[in-house]
Amino acid sequence: MSGGTALPLASAGATSRGAAGATRTHCPYCSLQCGMTLVGQRRTTVEPWAEFPVNEGALCRKGWSATGLLGHRERLTTPMVRDRSTGEWSGVTWDEALDLVARRLREVQAGHGPDAVAVFGGGGLTNEKAYQLGKFARVALGTSQIDYNGRWCMSSAASASTRAFGVDRGLPFPLADVEQADVVVLVGSNLAETMPPAARHLDRARENGGKVVVIDPRRTATADRADVVLQPVPGTDLALALGVLHLLVAGGHVDEAYVAARTTGFEAVRESAAAWWPERVERVTGVAASELRALADLLADHERVMVLTARGAEQHAQGSDTVLAWIDVALALGMPGRQYAGYGCLTGQGNGQGGREHGQKADQLPGYRMIDDPAARAHVAAVWGVEPDSLPGRGRSAYELLDALGTPGGPRAMLVHGSNIVVSAPRATHVQERLEALDLLVVCDLVMSETAALADVVLPVTQWAEETGTMTNLEGRVILRQQARPAPEGVRSDLDVIAGLAARLGSPIDFSTDPEEVFAELGRASAGGKADYAGITYDRIRAEHGVFWPCPSPGHPGTPRLFADSFATSDGRARFHAVEHRGPAEVVDADYPVHLTTGRVLAQYQSGAQTRRIADLPDDGAFAEMHPLLAGRLGVADGMPVTVRTRRGEIRVPARVTTTIRPDTVFVPFHWLGVNRLVNDALDPASRMPEFKVCAARVEAA
Amino acid sequence: MRGEGGLDARSLALDARPPAEAGGRAERSASDERASRPPAGERLVVVGNGMAATRLVEGLVAGGYAGHVTVLGDEPVPAYNRILLSAVLEGTHAPDALTLRSPDWYAGHGIDLRTGTRVLAVDRGHGDVMLVDGTLVPFDRLVLATGSIPTLPPIRGLVRHDGSLHPRVHAFRSLADCEGLLAAAPGARRAVVVGGGLLGLQVARALSLRGVATEVVEGAEHVLHRQVSAPAGKVLARSLTRLGTTVYTGARVVRLHEHGGPEAGVGLRLDTGVVLDTDLVVLTAGGRPSTALARGAGLEVRRGVVVDDHLTSPTDPRVHAIGDCAEHRGVTTGFVPPAWEQAQLLAARLCGADVVHEGSRSVARLRATDLDVAVLGDPVGEEGEVVEVSNPVAGKHSRLVVRDGVIVAAALVGDLSRVGLITQHYDRGTVLGVREPGDLLLPDPVSEPPALPDEAEVCACAGVSAGEVRGCSSLEHLRETTRATTGCGGCEQVCAALVEQASPRRAVVETR
Repeated sequence: MSGGTALPLASAGATSRGAAGATRTHCPYCSLQCGMTLVGQRRTTVEPWAEFPVNEGALCRKGWSATGLLGHRERLTTPMVRDRSTGEWSGVTWDEALDLVARRLREVQAGHGPDAVAVFGGGGLTNEKAYQLGKFARVALGTSQIDYNGRWCMSSAASASTRAFGVDRGLPFPLADVEQADVVVLVGSNLAETMPPAARHLDRARENGGKVVVIDPRRTATADRADVVLQPVPGTDLALALGVLHLLVAGGHVDEAYVAARTTGFEAVRESAAAWWPERVERVTGVAASELRALADLLADHERVMVLTARGAEQHAQGSDTVLAWIDVALALGMPGRQYAGYGCLTGQGNGQGGREHGQKADQLPGYRMIDDPAARAHVAAVWGVEPDSLPGRGRSAYELLDALGTPGGPRAMLVHGSNIVVSAPRATHVQERLEALDLLVVCDLVMSETAALADVVLPVTQWAEETGTMTNLEGRVILRQQARPAPEGVRSDLDVIAGLAARLGSPIDFSTDPEEVFAELGRASAGGKADYAGITYDRIRAEHGVFWPCPSPGHPGTPRLFADSFATSDGRARFHAVEHRGPAEVVDADYPVHLTTGRVLAQYQSGAQTRRIADLPDDGAFAEMHPLLAGRLGVADGMPVTVRTRRGEIRVPARVTTTIRPDTVFVPFHWLGVNRLVNDALDPASRMPEFKVCAARVEAA
Repeated sequence: MRGEGGLDARSLALDARPPAEAGGRAERSASDERASRPPAGERLVVVGNGMAATRLVEGLVAGGYAGHVTVLGDEPVPAYNRILLSAVLEGTHAPDALTLRSPDWYAGHGIDLRTGTRVLAVDRGHGDVMLVDGTLVPFDRLVLATGSIPTLPPIRGLVRHDGSLHPRVHAFRSLADCEGLLAAAPGARRAVVVGGGLLGLQVARALSLRGVATEVVEGAEHVLHRQVSAPAGKVLARSLTRLGTTVYTGARVVRLHEHGGPEAGVGLRLDTGVVLDTDLVVLTAGGRPSTALARGAGLEVRRGVVVDDHLTSPTDPRVHAIGDCAEHRGVTTGFVPPAWEQAQLLAARLCGADVVHEGSRSVARLRATDLDVAVLGDPVGEEGEVVEVSNPVAGKHSRLVVRDGVIVAAALVGDLSRVGLITQHYDRGTVLGVREPGDLLLPDPVSEPPALPDEAEVCACAGVSAGEVRGCSSLEHLRETTRATTGCGGCEQVCAALVEQASPRRAVVETR
């Protein structure tokens, strides 16, 4: 099946709703990947898809307005080349553009070796693109230097889940399981704003008598629908978890039978938690000891406890340890593997899950295989038809890669797919300087994003409704985005770009441009790996509302729930990890006395390259949310301009004064250029996640 | 004298400057100025196995200390979290939940842990310590972490002729003391706690919750006199009384009377003339640094074992002291966080880092059900402007001592709603605005939500204002025209109410 025409809805068992020209697909934004129906080819509108179980027809305003970018006047439709001396852009043909890029890449590699070319991917790319990009880097370019922006998304949870459970699937159960849980603990998630339809499951959990706990320095829209809200100092979620563990041990609430039968390593955790009594936790976290006790009591008193982390807990220099500590809590309570209970990560980007499974990461090959595992290399090389020894080894992680650009020994050219780096990277001023130091920057995007504007060559590529491909949502459910309308004249898919460049670079193998063909190959490459897609086909996805991996064979039903009998570790047991609270890499002091934390708002998505261009979505720009106590100290009122300054940069934004935030913390949403210039680039030692969620800042009336 | 040697960090309430932070400072300085690493194979002997000693050894392990470590603890059990003994007494903590490090942990890291081992003397000339059984343990470097020993108040009849305490009398310092008291409590109807400090109040509440009618005797004019002002102390006494515990202040126990027979209780005569009949007496009147070993070894000792900013004795560069037994810049403390800071810092130094100790901030918290007290620094003695909010009727008294906009001390009694934030400001030295200290002690203003103006956004998911909702005849109409309520679903109730108010339909139905 090839792209180019709209796929009839009625094909292969789709729940038919009639209307010719209606296409079942999924929203272009977050990891919830809400099902939606697109109607009409020329003027495409969004209609509900009530049968898709994750969102049951509900959408947030981003979803309802998603077609606003189709046919947008800022849409790029011609490859563009920038003259560095004048800064002028000129349109060129695709052949000219691809010839130019290939020639420059060859020159760079001839002069400086294969690793002088880097590839930077995105968590919004389809599985097919992510897979193909990893293969392109390793085979056509022969470079080890590939990573992607998902490193800044859920890599801490991925690292922790892998270490604790032997596998990383955001949610090891369907999202709707939330409704049956007795207690749902959200650590650093504001899902009511970041993935609004997911909040319906929370509401139903409460209707069923369940309790919802929200842990966040801000009393968010999600906290408004919670039973218990704790507001810790940013960067102290780990200490909070240790405090909960302490109380579970102290009160005799550890599920000793489960711990004995299904886990290893608890004794070290028991000992390390002994030093985290509630009043010590209070001093570190700013959460009153009484509140901590109430939380521990709540967890101890219920049969089905679900702990879900998100970026608030994970985007720290101790993010992976923080997740491990919360996994320890879930394990101590005996939850993982129990139905309607356990631990999960609420993945952020649209294909945050699938994007991390198939070889975009510096250290991985498809199917979650590790690139330094000889058996993994042999398997993947056989599928690709190349020699295992020809595959490069482990490369730099995302931030380290960007940090090395244009430095001696670092990459001198880079291809960017699906990422707006200068808005989304930490310490963004520095990152922009690194991008500008490159000999060649090539960006594939829909619009002239802030990053594309720095490029030497910009290649206009298709977007969601104009192409077909699979995504893997936060549940590990592989779903199909189907093409609903043709791409504008002059626009090509990333798959075409990859294939075109591979051919020009003299790749020893061909790269398919047909998504279904690529997906079938991805299935073979992933076969036997942890994220095994071998039994999944487009037809099955259509017929089954998605298929949960692992699905090793056509007859396999897929795996909605993991861990019921065993974990994916060598001995089948989950691993406790004794972790210590280290605190943020940058602590507040006299010069920078408040904590700065960053996050999202409902109407925008990530770097805003898509959402800021949609007329129906309000774009009021960034703001600094602060408590009246802090506003009073600064002498500013709601709406007045303030300057937020850190050791790395400053930004001038209006104050938004509200009692819902900790008085020692300011919050700035990161969808706009400049915000991430403030953010610290300290990295988690295990996941290489930058510390987006806390640094020291000074705020002044501007 | 009870408990030579291994007694460590006083069990008085905690405080907890984030230890990780202290460690972080040490590490950062460490990378700047690396001192020479100690010789591999150095024999390090730690006298004491309490909280400071445990932290030290953890730091040595984490820092990759190259020498050989021997830990000598006089208690028979592994290191435990002493400050939670009152929680065990109260019943919120199981005793085995207090274990900080099991013997396996020491063995796994090649540390020679000897529990139940009492040290008789330190011989600096020979470089060894002698145990009570005559064993000699040689050292190249010695750390004293001997903690403090309880003060026995001058009460006649307290100590019997053989030097032991009267069987009705309990100290409360060690796990053994705690277990003894736990064993005695079920047979007791009444108890008197001598000492109205943090530990005394915790023990009093714990016994009270175990059904023992408990009274507190405090020599000063109010309870917690070292930590809080007289009005706050009086608020606390009222709260205690309401919880069933009578408090006698300005009164000292002078004599313990036998009532005859092992089954009968005892009488405690106060200097006010009052006699309290009781089944149990618990002594919580404080402690002093355990310095006998250091004195015997000829080290400089004032109130505690004197150490410099490197936690080293000025008498002997091979000898260090940390925790309650140490005196640094003229200060001895009885709290865990300073002890931990010293332990981490010494560990870093012994692993080759050049870091110095500059003193600590303390936060003391009362751990007792229904009694809420937090003490930051020295709110009685610290100089500065005092901001107070007092509501004795509601059992609340809060005091902030502010200097140059910084909270330098605080006492919060009965209202800990802002304790987390105030502690953060105190620990961080945050410079506050002029209104802020006062505002911190008052609750957030409560205001009635005003009627939603038409321009107010009601459905964030679909971006629909109250006015647009009011313009719809029904929820179905609303959904179709605006898609409000179709996202997260959170606004459904508000929208239903707005549609209801705006639509006359219901009224029409009712009138028909």
